[in-house]
Amino acid sequence: MKCARCLEDTAAKVADAPDGSGAWEIYLCSRCNYSWRTTEEEEVINPEKRDPYFTLDGVDMDDLMVLVPVPPLKK
Amino acid sequence: MGCMPACKFKPLNNKRKNQGVNNLYRDLREFLAKLEEEGQLVRYTDEILPEPDVRHICRASGDMPNGPAVLMNNIKGYKGKRLVVNVHGSWANHALSFGMDKDTSPKEQFHELCNRWDNYPGEVKFVDNAPCQEVVIKDDINLFDLLPLYRINPYDGGYYFGKGNVISQDPDEPDNLDKENVGIYRMQVQGKDIIGMQALAFHDISIQLAKVEAENKPLPVAIALGVDPVLSFIASTPIYYDQSEYKFAAALNGIPQELTKAVTSNINVPAGAEFVLEGEIIPRQRFPEGPFGEFPGSYSGIRKQVRIKVKAITHRKDPIFENLYIGRPWTEADFLLGLNTCVPLYRQLKETMPEVEAVNALYQHGLTAIIATGNRFGGYAKSVAMRVASTPHGISYCKNIILVDDDVDPFDLMQVMWALSTRVRADKDVIVIPHTPGMPLDPASEPPGMGNKLIIDATSPAPPDSVMREVRMVDRMPQALEVEKIIAELQKSAGK
Repeated sequence: MKCARCLEDTAAKVADAPDGSGAWEIYLCSRCNYSWRTTEEEEVINPEKRDPYFTLDGVDMDDLMVLVPVPPLKK
Repeated sequence: MGCMPACKFKPLNNKRKNQGVNNLYRDLREFLAKLEEEGQLVRYTDEILPEPDVRHICRASGDMPNGPAVLMNNIKGYKGKRLVVNVHGSWANHALSFGMDKDTSPKEQFHELCNRWDNYPGEVKFVDNAPCQEVVIKDDINLFDLLPLYRINPYDGGYYFGKGNVISQDPDEPDNLDKENVGIYRMQVQGKDIIGMQALAFHDISIQLAKVEAENKPLPVAIALGVDPVLSFIASTPIYYDQSEYKFAAALNGIPQELTKAVTSNINVPAGAEFVLEGEIIPRQRFPEGPFGEFPGSYSGIRKQVRIKVKAITHRKDPIFENLYIGRPWTEADFLLGLNTCVPLYRQLKETMPEVEAVNALYQHGLTAIIATGNRFGGYAKSVAMRVASTPHGISYCKNIILVDDDVDPFDLMQVMWALSTRVRADKDVIVIPHTPGMPLDPASEPPGMGNKLIIDATSPAPPDSVMREVRMVDRMPQALEVEKIIAELQKSAGK
């Protein structure tokens, strides 16, 4: 499944509506960690309509800033 | 040292002082019952969608004057699950959480909390068969199934906890309750049993994390969702590292904080919590997290942050998931982070600078702070500014620091603007200190984490500073306070 944000084929279903109503499904991207519900607004979950500022098309996850660095290992 | 030895802004009469301090709430449910009794909680029973309906309900309730908490139980797909928002989302709810009358002003709440601060430490009490462990789940954990999640702001990277209390211990002293940390950090559900978390370098949990990561060990944590309102308040208060949030909550509540041991670790968790998610931070790895609509009113970036692996979930029967709205101010987050920023800054200043009368740091967790202080000698107020800029919280947050005289009420912005208008000599009283620490979520912090300090000294100059050309102030008129009551009575019957 294509991720609605990073557009890679790395998303999979993680939940159906727990009340058994079939009201929606939730998908999760294992690459960029984006998650979305099938009933959300088009501008949120449809890559064609999503604000390009909030897409991650072509961004390498390794290039993201690390806010709290990993400390050196104690010897 | 007494809290308020010479405070001119101490409007509390005896009747209101410490009102209700011994009759507060053991858990979220007791407080919700009180809110409902006071007309400060409503039940939203119409069927709604998780998105965008819950977001709109959050925004609306927080925007309303004295907006109520909203309890929802009919969210499409989550039928039967309960969600409550806006529990702290008005000054009325905030006052009620401390047992004060719901019309108590922010300034009056500030002074009341300053008084109660002296009650620290309160007591903790360990209980068996805690309500938070009525149901224990260790297998087939799926957070997306268990909690009525929703996207708080449209471009958030996922479904967030905005009010989760993260509990962790000092790895060197796991049994030292004073160093057991309870902090509210933003958390993104990133898998059925995976949660991403933002823990910034200056957060207490980062001290503990650095210790275990240096040894490549996980850090056990527990996340309590839906706790008594005073614990949420103190979990987002910048107290010292070796001060116990549990004992502080008890001190402010006037009743012991009830705790129990987590089912998978040594961590102490609030016995009455609605949910407790137990797990550990995976060491030495960082994962994409964000963006998230944050307290400055803008989205954070996407950064690599730590991750929690959930190992067990415990909850009460028929649990209530509590969350808050955060985004373009004002929101519930601004109410929650308002006075709990003011009071510790005030207390920390007061320790060495008794001339400080009050601190209004309500604005975005203290990015702007207004301090009323006596100007003991020329330039003294500027020293007060540098002191607030070097408190644990002020180092990163307090960037716009305004000083006003001790006869100016810093909570009354009309008075503050009067002081700015008539007492600031820009060539002497406006100072910028460049290249200081900054708050990374502040969009003006560039690069994120760097900033500067703006000091505006709007106090009257004192010798040996050159004193302004001689003027006489128009005196205050205390007699008018009595007349206000008479006119208020007349107004009640006017127009009838």
